[in-house]
Amino acid sequence: MNSKIQKINIAVVVAFVAFLFAAPIILPMIANPFWVSVTSEILIWSLFAASVNLLFGYIGLLSFGQALYFGFGMYGVAIGIAHLGLGFWPAFALGIIASVAMSVIAGSLAVRLTWHYFAIITVVFSLIFYFLALSWKPLTGGDDGIGFSMPPMLRIGDFEVTLLNPNTQYYFILLVVIGCFYLMHRLLQSPLGKAMIAVRENDVRASLIGLDVYRLRLVAFIAAGFMAGVAGALFAFFGRYASASYMFYHVSGEGVVWTLVGGVGTLLGPVFGTALLVILREELSVLWDNYLLLVGAIVILTVIYAPKGIVGLYTDMLNKLLNTSDENGDEQGGK
Amino acid sequence: MDWNLMIALAANGIVWGLIIALIALGLSIIFGLLDIINVAHGDFFMVGTVLAFGVLQTTGNFWLALLIVPILGFVLGAVIEQIVIKPIRNAAALSIVATFGLSIILQESVRATYGAAPRRILPPIEGTFPLLNIEYDIYRLVAAFLSILAISGFFLFLHRTKFGTWMRAVRHDSEAALIMGIPTERVYLMTFAIGFALAALGGVVAAPITTVDFRSGIDILPFCFMAVIIGGLGNLPGTAAAAVLLSFVEGVVASFTDPTMARITSLCLMSAVLLLRPQGLFTGLAK
Repeated sequence: MNSKIQKINIAVVVAFVAFLFAAPIILPMIANPFWVSVTSEILIWSLFAASVNLLFGYIGLLSFGQALYFGFGMYGVAIGIAHLGLGFWPAFALGIIASVAMSVIAGSLAVRLTWHYFAIITVVFSLIFYFLALSWKPLTGGDDGIGFSMPPMLRIGDFEVTLLNPNTQYYFILLVVIGCFYLMHRLLQSPLGKAMIAVRENDVRASLIGLDVYRLRLVAFIAAGFMAGVAGALFAFFGRYASASYMFYHVSGEGVVWTLVGGVGTLLGPVFGTALLVILREELSVLWDNYLLLVGAIVILTVIYAPKGIVGLYTDMLNKLLNTSDENGDEQGGK
Repeated sequence: MDWNLMIALAANGIVWGLIIALIALGLSIIFGLLDIINVAHGDFFMVGTVLAFGVLQTTGNFWLALLIVPILGFVLGAVIEQIVIKPIRNAAALSIVATFGLSIILQESVRATYGAAPRRILPPIEGTFPLLNIEYDIYRLVAAFLSILAISGFFLFLHRTKFGTWMRAVRHDSEAALIMGIPTERVYLMTFAIGFALAALGGVVAAPITTVDFRSGIDILPFCFMAVIIGGLGNLPGTAAAAVLLSFVEGVVASFTDPTMARITSLCLMSAVLLLRPQGLFTGLAK
């Protein structure tokens, strides 16, 4: 039974990844080419949502401040290129290093707290740097942000590879995001990942069997900061700018919402949640000015009726379908 | 250094602090009794300002708004408790997410009906009076007085009425309260409704000295949380004191830097309190 479900799941994931690789060819054929760029955006925000998921879904800490690390990734890239004159790869590295460094500092303080207090202190940290970014205009550009022109990824003589080519940009984003999800998958399969789940289930018992709860939480926090930072750096490349407004707590909140709607504690839940809500935004915001009412309703309904999100609904449905077809006799006998 | 500016900002700080205290008390009782982090609380305040605008438009009487809006807030709060809060009572961690959804809905409903443009309300009492050597708005003094009145009324309700005693009992130990025959469900409902009513009342009082805007809740929310945390979760007098103190300090700091720096200062103070004295600054003094 289990193996059957597993096979279906693998097939779904393979089909989904195949679709993502074919998207720049398929999407312009069946719809507007602009959907390729929407797909890039979905990929980036999925990675951001996954950083919320890593903390909430796998170690039980609800962060409402992931926008801080997203913002550092963004500003690392933008400041690196616009102010320091760095090339593509050094700027990318600077963005990631900045967000990881920030998450080490913030995390070492924040993971001393749990539950509500953890959620509040992560918001507070992100607000502090949001206001700093707002007021430190020469460096950050404040609310207007700073733009930059895209340096080439690779230059050999006259031959250049740059993200100015939409297909290059799409595949670059896709590969980086898939790489990060693969790393997350490996992390969760490793003994370290199992230890994190033990902390999520019961931190007192976890510490009694000798796990260092503080260090595990810190490691998860830094890994989540890394993922949010990569997402921010990608988004800077994607939009060719960085702005303080992406560090506000509403951005963090969106990450939490996408994760929850997709399915907390599942690897691909955040991807589906992000995809659903971003597509909803793109399709509906043109037709209906107040489409956010629907988003709010979806959030509340998800929390009340489907706390496991889209992936949870899908799993339940799959279980039901397979059970009723295979164990029909058993159920009738039971009644 | 401009002393007059500092006096004005410090006085504004105290007035705002009293209004924030009113709103933060609602946030604090909702957290203390229902174990819910209400991210939509700033929007309750915002709904209060918008309703005040509406009542003023239709009746032209500000004092009527002061009476009607808290009642409307109470009813709205009761309805929201039944629809959104009651079903998630057992999933406290998700309360932040659900109230975030609620916050989106409240903001969008106001934007859809009232519009996105910020508007102003004229104070019902115009004029100034001399305060030290500056001229200060009379209405701000009235706002401070109204807030003190409402806060005192709330504390009297909490300590002198049967229902207030029930609320304190449920906060102390909800299971024991249930066993003693206290209708806890009704207490939860009332608590949430009172929380909304207090925030809405704060909205009416603040409406003439701020802008009426569907986004105003976003700015006020972090401040209310700061007051609740620094005052100590569940410590209601501490919350009120922290709100006034914080707002006063922000006013003074803002007079020689700028408002953003003042906000950063109080956020840093809040982080320090969270990490070093999570029980709050005043716990121990209140006893």
